[in-house]
Amino acid sequence: MTNSQGPRGLLRANEWALVISILLVVAGTAALDRSHSYVNYPVRSLQDNGRRLAPLGILALGAAVVIISGGIDLSLGSMAALSGTICATLLMALGGERFNSDEGAGPVVWCVAIAASLTAGLVVGTLHTWMITALRLPPFIVTLGSLVGLRSLARAFCYYMTGRFKDSSSEDLPFSDPFCDFLTERVELSLLLLAVLASGTWLILSRTVLGRHIYALGGNEQAARLSGIRTENVKWFAYTFSAVCASLTGMFYIAEAGAKPTTLANGYELNAIAAAVVGGCSLQGGIGTIPGTLLGAIFLRAVVDSVARIIKTSSDIYEGLIVGIVVVLAVTFSQLREIRQSRRQLFPGWLGILAIPCLALACGLAGLITIGSRTGLGGMLFALVVLVAWKALELRRSEVK
Amino acid sequence: MSQPIIAIRRVSKAFPGVQALADVSIDVLPGELHAIVGENGAGKSTLMKILSGVLTDFEGELILEGKPVRFAGTRDAEAAGVSIIHQELNLVEQLSAAANIFLGREIRGWLGFRDDRAMDEAAGRLLRELECEVLPRSLAGSLRVGDQQLIEIAKALSLQSDILIMDEPTSALTESEVSRLYRVIERLRKRGVTILYISHKLDEIFHLSDRITVLRDGKLVRTLSTKETSPKVVTHLMVGREIEAIDFGSQRKAADVLLRVENLSLSWPGHARGWRLKDVSFELRRGEVLGIAGLMGAGRTELLECLFGAAAERPTGKIELLGQPVNFRHPGEACEAGIALVTEDRKRLGLFAAMNVGENISICTLDQTGLAGFINRSREWRIAGAASEQLAVKSSGLAAPITSLSGGNQQKCIIGRWLLTQPQVLLLDDPTRGVDVGAKAELYRLIDGLVRGDKAQGDKTSGGIGVIMTSSELPELLTVCDRILVLSEGRLTATFSRAEATEHKIMEAATLGRTALAAVS
Repeated sequence: MTNSQGPRGLLRANEWALVISILLVVAGTAALDRSHSYVNYPVRSLQDNGRRLAPLGILALGAAVVIISGGIDLSLGSMAALSGTICATLLMALGGERFNSDEGAGPVVWCVAIAASLTAGLVVGTLHTWMITALRLPPFIVTLGSLVGLRSLARAFCYYMTGRFKDSSSEDLPFSDPFCDFLTERVELSLLLLAVLASGTWLILSRTVLGRHIYALGGNEQAARLSGIRTENVKWFAYTFSAVCASLTGMFYIAEAGAKPTTLANGYELNAIAAAVVGGCSLQGGIGTIPGTLLGAIFLRAVVDSVARIIKTSSDIYEGLIVGIVVVLAVTFSQLREIRQSRRQLFPGWLGILAIPCLALACGLAGLITIGSRTGLGGMLFALVVLVAWKALELRRSEVK
Repeated sequence: MSQPIIAIRRVSKAFPGVQALADVSIDVLPGELHAIVGENGAGKSTLMKILSGVLTDFEGELILEGKPVRFAGTRDAEAAGVSIIHQELNLVEQLSAAANIFLGREIRGWLGFRDDRAMDEAAGRLLRELECEVLPRSLAGSLRVGDQQLIEIAKALSLQSDILIMDEPTSALTESEVSRLYRVIERLRKRGVTILYISHKLDEIFHLSDRITVLRDGKLVRTLSTKETSPKVVTHLMVGREIEAIDFGSQRKAADVLLRVENLSLSWPGHARGWRLKDVSFELRRGEVLGIAGLMGAGRTELLECLFGAAAERPTGKIELLGQPVNFRHPGEACEAGIALVTEDRKRLGLFAAMNVGENISICTLDQTGLAGFINRSREWRIAGAASEQLAVKSSGLAAPITSLSGGNQQKCIIGRWLLTQPQVLLLDDPTRGVDVGAKAELYRLIDGLVRGDKAQGDKTSGGIGVIMTSSELPELLTVCDRILVLSEGRLTATFSRAEATEHKIMEAATLGRTALAAVS
């Protein structure tokens, strides 16, 4: 028998494409950035990006496991905020005098606070699974509830704790601690944690029975149950794993100087899901890899940073726009071959005609806000001409046929 | 010979890796019922998709009433008078019957508003014409499959179609619905509608058709006049070889009792009948194949699910496996106890479409391949490879996607998956559904081998296993089984030994309960 072990190389085709895209983006940024920070300050650029990549990557690992198991977890960002709040308020409550002082809360208090935060992840993940399996609620609904609810819970908890242990109640709790500064400075520590977590997750997904069951559950839940797989247990692992990942990231976010725990990671659940999708996870479930997800997160980070450096703004402003565009483009590219094979029109019928000016307008607006009014107008006209030409080409081709 | 209403001229269609149709030419005469037969993958469905405008990209030409046509979509085909009733019905379940019939061609009234009343009236007329008692206002999703199909036919009638394509129309119907469909077809033919009828079931085709076209591997084999041929000839043309009539079941020896079921009942909350199964008792011995016959909804699948711990509610009654009372709460417990279930709906309940052949085979026995929850890939591949070889699965290797296999080979993979768990009792729910004639015979032989105990991988010398199998085709049960239980409305109405069972007796028992129950209520 000459059966091979399957076509598993180091990476799959779409993952190699991601590697190349990442290299291209980095090279492009190094060349186009007027202050050439990638070339002049390579270490600092790496540190900056690493600091932001680590939490995004960890969140994306959690999102990927849930997505592969056929579910969705919208609550990651709020969960991170809750865990950060729990951690910070416990530091305050247990640290007493030493809270926000130069000497810091100390290792014992930190350990208790971290343990409590991780327990919160365990609790939330378990509740999610219970609602999904016992109450038979759709995962989208359950985690939508937590997305909205957990952040509010974090604020209420903060309000209660500050009222109880401090002079006045407050919705937020800015704080600093030497341990935080240490974490923020030593970026390699957070990247190391990401690497360890990713390796562990990869090992579980690709080498263990549990991992195969996660793929089976995502691919066909009914068939998985009828194959004797305890689907509730597999789901419990997936949702708890993602909630605990979120708890971990919550602690990274509060480490940033002067962070306010209840507002952190706002909207990051969607970035994490986007990284998983860009990395090749299918929202239908059953398909996806950990290397792909990591590459997806790196690619998102690289593009966001590239835009921030080329346009010279704070990266937060454009982050959502970029993530949105990248996700849509990534999924489009994955379907490009099919579109070409079926010779489908990109602008069919009246909807196509309507889409052309809309697209041109969007291009113009993007040019206007990033570069200037003249570029915006020119870009809009240029896009209009190109798209109309494309449409004309499509029309001619369909007539010839 | 009159001019053909449709002439298919040298039509070819290739999909990536498969030549679905090669140079097929068929003439369909006006007003005839033309049957298209062939094994799975013979190209029947592809040809029908081309005729109905679903597939627009092909070589060759279609000539409709003397004029060459090229449909750009199903709307073009419908406008030209060609409608298709797909095997899997295309209804919007949340809309009413009338809304479905006029979907996309809604009748408009004052100011262009939708005129629901006119549509309801028109739909009511069409449905009455088809002997369908469904109210035009009832939701399509709440109807039985047979009635849903009539809604599709009513839609074709409302389109004034001259040509109706029916793709395996009886595959999900009960006997009474089938005979109603026959009457509807008769009526359609009186109106002069030409019907292209695709089916596996030769008895239907010989009952209904004027002419038969046989396809094999995408090629036209021959078009025959029904009067001048016989089912045997057609089967021969379909498979390209004789199927020997194998004498299964002779010299099989039933041994000790494997499974004993007493007064098994399964409730059905919210349903008028109140139960899915009621007081079912039987026993299964080692070395026998027990068949379960019954119409759709009689409780065949539910009975197997109860035995496998997969039923929606907890069943009541007693189940004993090898003398020990068992009460499975999850399929996993049943697996461990030595029961295996090959499900009825392979695509929905059996296959992992995103996985390859090897992973589909090994999914139930991963624990045995490695230590501490890790998978030993080379061992997994060796075990799956042995199973695939034993069952003669035709594939391009274990790494091939499971979806690239034919229905019969997919089924073999799933049976292989369960044989690896070394079951004592194998439950097969309609195992030959969607499997072509050649692969069916292989499956029969496999089942025979399993109960006789000459399975190659079995290191146990305890002899064979016990098999319970259901089927929607009675001849199949009569060929394969030693005993046949008949269910009707969830009750056990008869048990026949192989010698005394006939199709007629089984049908009687399968419908008996219904009339009796109807008389009571």
